[in-house]
Amino acid sequence: MPLKHTTLITWLMALLLILPIAVGLIGTLLPAFQYFPPLGEHRMAFTPWQNLFAQGEFYASLKLTLITGIVAPVIALWLALSLLAWGYERAFFKKFEALLSPLLAIPHAAIAIGLLFLLSPSGWLVRLFSPWLTGFDRPPNWISVQDPYGLSLIFALVIKEMPYLLFVMLATMKSIQARESLQVCQSLGYSRYTAWRKVLIPQLYPLIRLPIFIVITFSLTVVDLALVIGPNTPSTLAVTLFRWFNDPDLSMRFMASAGAVFLMLSIALVLGGWEMAHYLLSKITRTERSNGKRHGLTDAVLAVGRILGLVTLLSGFVALLLLPVWSLAKRWRFPDALPSQWTFDNLERAAPLLITLTSNTLIIALSATLIACLVSLLMLETKRLIAKGTNQRNNTRAQHHAFDWLIYVPILLPQIGFLFGLHVLLIYLDLNGALSAIIALHLMYVLPYVYLTLKGPYLAYEEEYLRQANRLNHKPWRNYVLIKLAMLKPAIFTAFAIGFSVSIAQYLPTLIAGEGRYSTLTTEAVTQAASGDRKQVGSMALLQAAFPILVFWLALTLPPRWTKWRLAMKMTLKRKTKCSA
Amino acid sequence: MKKSFVAVSIAATLAFVSLPTVADTLDDSATWQETLNQAKGQTVYFNAWGGADNINDYIQWAADRIKDDYNVTLRHVKLTDTADAVNRVLAEKAAGKNTNGSIDLIWINGENFRAMKDNNLLFGPFSQSLPNYMAYVDENARQSLTQDFGTPVDGMESPWGMAQVIFMHDTATLRNPPKSMTELLTYANTNPGRITYPEPPQFLGSTFLKQALYELTPHRKALSQPVDTVDFEKITAPLWAYLDQLHPVAWRRGQTFPSSSEEMMRLLDDREIDVALSFDISAASVQIDKGNLPDTVRSYVFQGGTIGNTHFLAIPYNTGVSAGAQVVANFMLSPEAQIKKQTPTVWGDLSVLSYAKLSNADQAKFDALPRGIATLSIEELGKTLPEPHSSWMGALEKAWRARYAQ
Repeated sequence: MPLKHTTLITWLMALLLILPIAVGLIGTLLPAFQYFPPLGEHRMAFTPWQNLFAQGEFYASLKLTLITGIVAPVIALWLALSLLAWGYERAFFKKFEALLSPLLAIPHAAIAIGLLFLLSPSGWLVRLFSPWLTGFDRPPNWISVQDPYGLSLIFALVIKEMPYLLFVMLATMKSIQARESLQVCQSLGYSRYTAWRKVLIPQLYPLIRLPIFIVITFSLTVVDLALVIGPNTPSTLAVTLFRWFNDPDLSMRFMASAGAVFLMLSIALVLGGWEMAHYLLSKITRTERSNGKRHGLTDAVLAVGRILGLVTLLSGFVALLLLPVWSLAKRWRFPDALPSQWTFDNLERAAPLLITLTSNTLIIALSATLIACLVSLLMLETKRLIAKGTNQRNNTRAQHHAFDWLIYVPILLPQIGFLFGLHVLLIYLDLNGALSAIIALHLMYVLPYVYLTLKGPYLAYEEEYLRQANRLNHKPWRNYVLIKLAMLKPAIFTAFAIGFSVSIAQYLPTLIAGEGRYSTLTTEAVTQAASGDRKQVGSMALLQAAFPILVFWLALTLPPRWTKWRLAMKMTLKRKTKCSA
Repeated sequence: MKKSFVAVSIAATLAFVSLPTVADTLDDSATWQETLNQAKGQTVYFNAWGGADNINDYIQWAADRIKDDYNVTLRHVKLTDTADAVNRVLAEKAAGKNTNGSIDLIWINGENFRAMKDNNLLFGPFSQSLPNYMAYVDENARQSLTQDFGTPVDGMESPWGMAQVIFMHDTATLRNPPKSMTELLTYANTNPGRITYPEPPQFLGSTFLKQALYELTPHRKALSQPVDTVDFEKITAPLWAYLDQLHPVAWRRGQTFPSSSEEMMRLLDDREIDVALSFDISAASVQIDKGNLPDTVRSYVFQGGTIGNTHFLAIPYNTGVSAGAQVVANFMLSPEAQIKKQTPTVWGDLSVLSYAKLSNADQAKFDALPRGIATLSIEELGKTLPEPHSSWMGALEKAWRARYAQ
């Protein structure tokens, strides 16, 4: 991109990023110190913190949050790496990759409900084996979901996070020349898993560090998933805060704000600890990696991870398949494995809503993602140019560009605490309830995912192609689009698909910015999920999933065929013009 | 034409009572006409819990009728939690948005009403001057019409419907259901894992605690006092002793609880549990009709009566369309709307109108309402226990969570 005024652009973009974040933060920080004029509190105090630390529920919630929020990403990463090491570049794995997108695209609340129905004591798994094997005429009194240890929550998180990590890893494989390394390693006699562990994973990790951090933050702060499948006596800290924020006793808000600040600090600590652990681990294993052995005991870890990964994926799919079955069920009682009566009534009842919901959802998701892609490209190009300019003088400024840490802030902050503060800003601007406000808030959450997904491939791009093109034909804008962007198609399409599905899944931002005036498929599905009617939820989830799945499918299908199809179309057009001429 | 007829007939009825009232009423009807004029063309954003299809459909029906009769557009903003709406009004006040707020009408009662009233977030008083309120509501019929969970209503909200706790059981699984808290515990002891209740602070869960407290405590009278004026520990001790016994033999050993009445009905359908509860007297019939419960399910109430309350419509202080909102609240109080609402296949929510004040034709319509196979009649519903003072809800929820949720 032939950009000028890079410093000015940096400042402007940074300001645009900082402003809503700062307002949201202040709107959370001040109440955490008892300052909130609308409730008549004009003096700072530490009472919210004292109240917070006096709550037994706070400690129990925090413990649960830390367990689920750390264990889930560790397992998700382990399983994703195992699956990648097992299947990468193998023929069957291509089909497998295409299957990932549904799991990625489905809003997590719907997955959680599907899992609930799969795993609960009256769930499909038990039904399948009852009563002929288990002897159960009625569901057993087990605690297989919403268990107090959060195991089912961890499972749901892994189902959601593992495909995301795998997807991101696959998108970055080109930039580490995995195929070549693998061939060299295997010709030297290294077993497949050992080659991955010793050579590829250490190269891969720095490129996917950012997505991993996102996954950790998501695990620590998710509300809707934890509401559905997480334990509630106590619940995770994010859910507890959510409840406090919504308590009719408005003074609870102070304690909730303090809790939100504490949750933000915990995220920082966990991320720091994670990096420390990674540093130590790579130190300890350094000698082992270069000892020349072609096999290792840790191969087994990846082999086990592969099997667990497959089981996880399978349960995710079964959970998803159960949702459409529910949407067509009239009577489906335990222990029937399939509905005894079928009907289209459930879908018919939902039909009048669908047109409004679908158009709202698509307008919001498409605009937010499109803007996010353009803004990401602008930001990355600015960053690249500044990096290039300062390369000779000093390296530090280039490496620590403002965008790299600013972009994290929206996703590192718990939505519940942050969005209330931001809502006040929207009201000042008289934008509350406006469609543009919803798109802007979605943009805030879509942009980081798009930027981070795009960053690695974009910066790893070999600029020489573009330079060569400009030497041949000096049209910088045209070449930027037709050469550079065209070559980055896979990454851009992937980023778009991820951004789109992030936007579709947003619940709190849509509700808070739109004030309920704009319902999307997701807000409607979560409202229905609260009512516990699996038929309605099944119908909603079916629709909600359709669009992201379509976009993901396109992101995988289009880039490799793009040029072929484009040329074919050009030929046809040429032939036509010739004929008509 | 129709409107002026109503006004004249109200005035005529009241003329028999006393002359000054006639003057007032004529004056009132003139102001009401102004309100109607102002309301024309206004759009009212009605924030109401949107978790039940039948209720959403009823609101849509009302919206169509109001559009036809008064040219007021009613938009239903579906909430998952009424507290969201309270928070939104608060946020608007924080931002200084004191006019043209985003919410024009809220479906509300209890704690949320108290929070809004205490923080001056409400428009009013308005309800006592609504024509249908003056014509059909008898404030002495039920305490809950003027005392919303112990908070004086003072005309700041207009009654919409009445609810009472009912229990449901599947006659194919359980023939003689437990009809008191003590019987419930006995049943749970002989059938472990089949009894539960929604998790407080979900309002039905909190109501279960209040119901249990009413039956178990020897100090019933103290429940109508604000909680900080009585000895909470002493009064609630029997409740906690009871729950300590119940939880080990409850569904999933009392380690998790269902999140709502709807989830309880799902569990009842799956036969994970044997008794479900609801605040909606026609819930069982409606769910049987939808295929979510078997047709062997029946409703019942406890022998000593169950807790009941009134739910209301309130107008936030910063609405830009207070006239339109009042027109909606008034329509919701009309015999037509209340009869439709009490129809079991529509919603089945109890009317707030006084039967004695209705015209013969309307009385006949109420008499003719069909009941679903699993809905109890007014007589069968028996005695209603009043809600404790609204401060009890928070205190009970807090104590429950401190004991069982950490």
